[in-house]
Amino acid sequence: MPVGLPEFVQNPENRCPVILLLDTSGSMIGDAIAALNQGVQLFKDNILADAKAALSVEVALVTFGPVKLVQDFTTIDQFTPPTLVADGVTPMGEAIEYALDLLEGRKQVYHTNGIQYYRPWIFLITDGAPTDPWEAAAERIRQGEVDRKFCFFSVAVEGADLKTLSQIAPVERPPVLLHGLDFQSLFVWLSKSMKRVSSGRVGEAVALPPVGWGTVNL
Amino acid sequence: MGWQALSRSAIGTRHQSHHLPCQDAGGYRTIGNLLIGAIADGAGSAPHSALGATLAVESTLNYLDSLEQWLQPGQPQWPTLERAPSLQQAQRLFQRTAHHVRAALQQTAEQNGYGLEELACTLLAVVATPHWLAAMQIGDGFIVTSTAQETYQLLFQPAKGEFANQTTFITSPTAFEDLEVITIDSPPQFICAATDAFERLALHLPQWKPHAPFFNPLTEYLAETLDPETDDEYIVNFLSSDYLNKQTDDDKTLLLCRYVS
Repeated sequence: MPVGLPEFVQNPENRCPVILLLDTSGSMIGDAIAALNQGVQLFKDNILADAKAALSVEVALVTFGPVKLVQDFTTIDQFTPPTLVADGVTPMGEAIEYALDLLEGRKQVYHTNGIQYYRPWIFLITDGAPTDPWEAAAERIRQGEVDRKFCFFSVAVEGADLKTLSQIAPVERPPVLLHGLDFQSLFVWLSKSMKRVSSGRVGEAVALPPVGWGTVNL
Repeated sequence: MGWQALSRSAIGTRHQSHHLPCQDAGGYRTIGNLLIGAIADGAGSAPHSALGATLAVESTLNYLDSLEQWLQPGQPQWPTLERAPSLQQAQRLFQRTAHHVRAALQQTAEQNGYGLEELACTLLAVVATPHWLAAMQIGDGFIVTSTAQETYQLLFQPAKGEFANQTTFITSPTAFEDLEVITIDSPPQFICAATDAFERLALHLPQWKPHAPFFNPLTEYLAETLDPETDDEYIVNFLSSDYLNKQTDDDKTLLLCRYVS
């Protein structure tokens, strides 16, 4: 049959924004910060290995303290994992507010450019208690979760103040306690989950792979 | 000559690799000069959405097929009407259709011990005569038509939530409010209904404008084919081609119709 094939429009990819909100306070010095650095690298490698996720995932990296945008939103191929250095206090409240604002800004960029996107993920990894007021930030997280604006995951490194972290985390998604410094398994899980989220239409609920790297605290 | 039509679905590569069934369904019937067609895309998050989509299409076609249910007593049959029904009439027709479909889904859910949401799927349907067409949509996916007056018109913008993977389903609490209906009072020449896998390939974003080079070959294929049902190789090959699978890993359904006067 002399009919050609339908030609496709080259539309921009749907995006899946991810913010890594990483505690680099002084108490992370040593094995913890080294393991965290490895984990971020592994996250990149794993996402890159999946063609569909590599096109969708956009990552931004914020560290605290002090609160610093180490990497603004970028596609995974353009993402060069930095070498994080542990130093300073734990302004977690400020860091969370910063991340939420950063996300709102990114959504605006998507809207302006007619880019569709998936529900964003914010991943907080910390070993300590906040050294600044965090109540307002916690309220924003909880409201955002109720409005289904994003998914907020909090991960506690062993020794963290779980009581405060439980008050910050969304009610339906309590903090997870990392086994030892197993950042490797955590970031592999994160990349696996992102692959699922960035893959086509899944309705509201995404079946996430089981958490094998930590303990869910209820 | 009448209507030429074809509906085909192909499983997405993601569903294949996860050992999931194809959760799309599509179908049509011609009754004299009347064409009724429907497609449905089962929600990936719903465990029995493949069953839901199949059932939704079947029960839509069955309901629309039983013409007397949506005819005013004493009026001529709709297919012979030269003017399109009013928008209100079409809305009434499709509201009843949607209620009927949901009742069928509810019944099947109860029989199998499922929740209604476990059968979640979108639903797009079209009723076309040589003179006019009427269509409905719940959720995403699209219907594009050509008439003598206008080439490649998108009937409804796919329903999306804030996120690319959110939409409304026939099982959603807001399904009947979100039901969109249109009537086109002009002879339809080409109709293409497609599930959301094709949205980003066939429509220019963010304006949602149909991309003619996507639809032209489909129109040509129908024009060169006497009986699409038996001569379906072109569409079947396209739906399972690497060429298409490189662009989408989702299930794919196309319903194509052409009226030959």
